[in-house]
Amino acid sequence: MPLPPLSRRSLLRAGGVGLALAATTTLASCAPPSDPKALKIAFFGDQSGADELRARLEEPVRALDPTIRLEINATPGTDWNEFFAKLLTQIAAGSRPDIVSVATEGVQLMAGRGLAAPLDEYVTRDLAELQDYFDDVSPALVEAMMYDGSLFLLPLDYNAGNMYYSPVLFERAGLDLPAPDWTVDDFYDAGRAMARIPDINAYDWVVRLWGSWTSFLYANDGNLLTEGRAPGGQWLWDAAYAGNPAAAGRGGGWAWGDPVANSPAAVEALEFMIELRKEGIAPSPDVGGGQTSQALFAAGRVGMSVGGGFWAGGLHNAGMAPGTFDVQYFPRWKSQRHLFGTAGYSILETSDKKDLAWEVVKRLTFPDAFDVLFPGNVTTPARQSLSTAQRYETTGPEHWDVFSSTLTEFPETAPIPAPIYFNALSTALNQRTTEAIATGDARAALDGLQIDLETAAGAVG
Amino acid sequence: MSAPAPARGKTPARRPVPTRPDDTVRRTPAARRSRRAEAAFGFGMIGLAGAAILLFTIGPILASFGLSFFAWDVITPPRFVGLDNYAAIGSDQRVVHSFGVTAVLAFSIVALQVAIGLFLALLVDQRRRASTKAIFRTVFYLPLLASTAAVSIFMTYMFNERFGVVNYYLTLLGGSGVPWLTSDAGAVVTIVFVAVWQSVGFTFVLFVAALAGLPRDVMEAAEIDGAGPVRSLLRIKLPLISPTVFFACVIGLINAMQLFDQAFIMTKGGPGTATTTITMVIYQTAFQNLQFGYGSAISMVLFAALIALTGLQFTLSRRLVFYS
Repeated sequence: MPLPPLSRRSLLRAGGVGLALAATTTLASCAPPSDPKALKIAFFGDQSGADELRARLEEPVRALDPTIRLEINATPGTDWNEFFAKLLTQIAAGSRPDIVSVATEGVQLMAGRGLAAPLDEYVTRDLAELQDYFDDVSPALVEAMMYDGSLFLLPLDYNAGNMYYSPVLFERAGLDLPAPDWTVDDFYDAGRAMARIPDINAYDWVVRLWGSWTSFLYANDGNLLTEGRAPGGQWLWDAAYAGNPAAAGRGGGWAWGDPVANSPAAVEALEFMIELRKEGIAPSPDVGGGQTSQALFAAGRVGMSVGGGFWAGGLHNAGMAPGTFDVQYFPRWKSQRHLFGTAGYSILETSDKKDLAWEVVKRLTFPDAFDVLFPGNVTTPARQSLSTAQRYETTGPEHWDVFSSTLTEFPETAPIPAPIYFNALSTALNQRTTEAIATGDARAALDGLQIDLETAAGAVG
Repeated sequence: MSAPAPARGKTPARRPVPTRPDDTVRRTPAARRSRRAEAAFGFGMIGLAGAAILLFTIGPILASFGLSFFAWDVITPPRFVGLDNYAAIGSDQRVVHSFGVTAVLAFSIVALQVAIGLFLALLVDQRRRASTKAIFRTVFYLPLLASTAAVSIFMTYMFNERFGVVNYYLTLLGGSGVPWLTSDAGAVVTIVFVAVWQSVGFTFVLFVAALAGLPRDVMEAAEIDGAGPVRSLLRIKLPLISPTVFFACVIGLINAMQLFDQAFIMTKGGPGTATTTITMVIYQTAFQNLQFGYGSAISMVLFAALIALTGLQFTLSRRLVFYS
């Protein structure tokens, strides 16, 4: 039987229905299917690193639950703010991992916005199992992972802003190597002497929150935001750190208050950086994670630069032989207070596998997990017992103990100021710092930063 | 031949249906099925393209428009705020400033793109050998095929103040290193340079095609009448290719107003906000500060600005563009 003639209208109608179906199907396929058998981890880095981690974590996870498949998805970025921007966009699109790698930069952002699940109940329940971990980890790091009295992450690694230097260039400039109690004046004199060597940067730095001019700001007893401590947290200090003097006076996490970005200490610190540039001691800095700076240092073209434990493996991998680089505490200005950042893995509030996720997070705190998570000596272990001469035997630096002793030598050392509006703070800091370097007017740039931060703080209430 | 006009006041006669040569063929059921299948295939193809446009262009625009009336931070449910987002734009210095930055960059890029593209096209048009023309066309078009992100990354290294190859040669020539990416003027110039370097191939190819299509008789007549190269260019060629110039300006401006990659990768919008374009502000607002509603409102303003600019160009084109 012949088909009835197809009118244009019917065809358009059918096309419309088809279009709607196609749209529905496409949209449905865009939404990630909920997989009850997959434990998803969002990893900051490239996919090869994530795959390597998955290969090494798969077995322990299977031991916890043989029916579960481990998925580790990498999100690359030049710095933590890029990672969090991408992560939050993924979450908005419906892709919700169970576990997320989070650093100080994102703790309050994740906790304050209700994305991260507090670990208080789990920690309290499994304290006996975790006591060995808490005995080994500085309470300063743990406090940096708290928000409003609750603990959101168990710190696995950290990096304090120490000063790397090239003994080779110090020698060429006829300088003594920096002593642990060296001062900003010593640093300045060393910079001026090294600046006379052609084709090198006596001091190199990058524009970012961690280890930028902010290191000088901290040493100058300043900060971008008013420092405070949230109430609470005694449930942890009394139980896990009972009798530990380093835990005395700690609260429920850092409470970042009103912006003080244009304080005299901040203006002085940024003016000092401008002065370094004017005198040819430091170049105009790049914005970002510092890979270029590290590459220049590895090439022997940088005299000094702020770095943490993560530089040791990086410089070694870049071909620097032991003895060609070393590290010292950050120089003393008004104080010798350092800044630090720490990182770990957080459980998302939306996860329907929190119990299993907790087991994985807990498993990552075991001593043998550290090198699985961070192969190649690219950070400082949060566990003090893992900072050993043997760890740095191959990579250097000679004074590796600087990394692990910073927190104990300088107890006033504090985390970078990363409030709930960290991304806005980071953007504003980068813009205003480059503005100050370009114009040479630190005061005007920091007045602008103050307004930016007040606006950002106001936007989140 | 057109049908004669009906007499005034009378009902027009029904227009005779023209006889189609395949009318006899159409009557057979097989032919009818074949035509229906052909039509279905055609509509199917159009439907696919339509679905893609609907899903990936019109849909997001409409969604963005809807979202611009809400406050939404991704995490908590959207909250209707009416026109508040639009009202906030006028007093947001960051947005106003970035529109200014974008305008400066966009107009500089378009002006240079058109001028350099035309200049190169004129040079190539003078070559007689087709192979030479093909080589030049390929060479000038190649940068357009490269990823903007990749180009921006290697340009960042080339223009690095400390170890960039540009400053290296400048110092060899006795000059001093220029802070290409770390001074306001340097950053603007570098970004314009990179954007023009990469996109000039587009205008160049358009102009080469337009020049090749110029009527030979007109050009020969101009030559016989003694028109020199400059007069020939200004009085004959430019007016004749003015529709192409107009098209290049419209497309170039729409693209340049959405400049993002180069500024984001090379300067992060700095120093300060010297190269912070409006698309960067939209990115920062929505994806970094999690103000998706406000970011959408800024996007809508940019969309409206682009439509207005294009409309203005079309208005001006009535005076300046010569359609033969």
